[in-house]
Amino acid sequence: MTQSGPTASCDEGHCVTCADEAVRMLVLEADGAGLARCEAPDGAHTEVMTDLVGDVAPGDALLVHAGTALARAA
Amino acid sequence: MKYVDEFRDAELGRVLAAEIVASVEPGRHYKVMEVCGGHTHTIYKYGVDDLLPENVELVHGPGCPVCVIPMGRVDDGIAIAKREEVILTCFGDMMRVPGGSGTFLEAKAEGADIRMVYSPLDALRIAKENPEREVVFFAVGFETTAPSTALTLKRAKQDEVGNFSVVSNHVTIVPPLRALLESPDLRLDGFIGPGHVSTVVGARPFEFIPADYGRPIVVSGFEPLDLLQSVHMVLRQLAEGRCEVENQYKRVVPYDGNPAALAVLAEVFELRPHFEWRGLGFISSSGLKLGPDYADFDAELRFGVPGVRVADPKACQCGEVLKGVIKPWECKVFGTACTPERPIGTCMVSSEGACAAYYNYGRFAREREVV
Repeated sequence: MTQSGPTASCDEGHCVTCADEAVRMLVLEADGAGLARCEAPDGAHTEVMTDLVGDVAPGDALLVHAGTALARAA
Repeated sequence: MKYVDEFRDAELGRVLAAEIVASVEPGRHYKVMEVCGGHTHTIYKYGVDDLLPENVELVHGPGCPVCVIPMGRVDDGIAIAKREEVILTCFGDMMRVPGGSGTFLEAKAEGADIRMVYSPLDALRIAKENPEREVVFFAVGFETTAPSTALTLKRAKQDEVGNFSVVSNHVTIVPPLRALLESPDLRLDGFIGPGHVSTVVGARPFEFIPADYGRPIVVSGFEPLDLLQSVHMVLRQLAEGRCEVENQYKRVVPYDGNPAALAVLAEVFELRPHFEWRGLGFISSSGLKLGPDYADFDAELRFGVPGVRVADPKACQCGEVLKGVIKPWECKVFGTACTPERPIGTCMVSSEGACAAYYNYGRFAREREVV
């Protein structure tokens, strides 16, 4: 599993698909080939595709939707 | 949390609300559509609409991708899932979407191997772990989600994962907005534009709204203060006689979008001639299918699907809700035959759906009390 916990549920309060939800995550480590292990606000760890935001490094904050970083977050 | 708490500050919210009250013309009724289901969810979760004057009405748009999936597409997914060799994967909010022959959840209970995933990358991982099975990802979502599917398909191609394929139900946001603006039964004064779709496509694609239809649009973030500020920006444009695209969510949305995301979408997908939207009918050039370079990964081609159009249930008024013509509670089956536990319409399924948002945050009871 790439998911060590529920970064997003599809219950009340959050919907993973939808569509326009994104979660701010912190990069823990990057493989240099477009994948990074990231930490969500609830502490869960997730594998994230980072192809759309260029090189990332531990500590970078990303806006993640459906396993893909769409933008860098401040 | 940085960039979250600042946008939930109650005192700032009251200041913005006062400015909104000061900017509206007495006696004029304003209808502003929030396009995105995420915005609808925030509005009801935080009671944003309670801070608005009575003559400012928020109308909920078609921006929940689960809510616009027609029943026939669900049936297509179930037909694939029932094949013995198939593991069908999807986001959790698809599980209870009713098709003509039931839901994914019911098909799973009957023995189909249907698994919930958090990203298409998880589906690809399942394919790699189960080389003897066919793993299909039932993809839904606007331009926010489509890059994730596209990047996963690039990885599948690169790693030569032959047992992975995708049913693409991805849709694009501009054609349904144009269809709404052409609808004769709709009167809107302005739009709150989708924030995270715009991280991909930018704000520029919405320029047709002021240019062709004379309505202002403000691309908005998702915190309560983002939405209040965006409503204020729309009303200020109306008060000043302006009509343009404004970007309230500059901290995330570049005006021209994300070029890398747009490039991967163009590489992997192509526009379908038309695609059916629940409640809205067929809309030209509004759906994405896998392009020729990725046709080998197209589950619709690999397995063949019934492709039968199923009419929406007559009792359900999702179409009118999605167009903002009626409020969810005005639907005849809302809260009675149609609830989040047993939804008839898709707007009641997803937490981003207007009906579910109304139901879950007590609007049902409150509206009925008012009546």
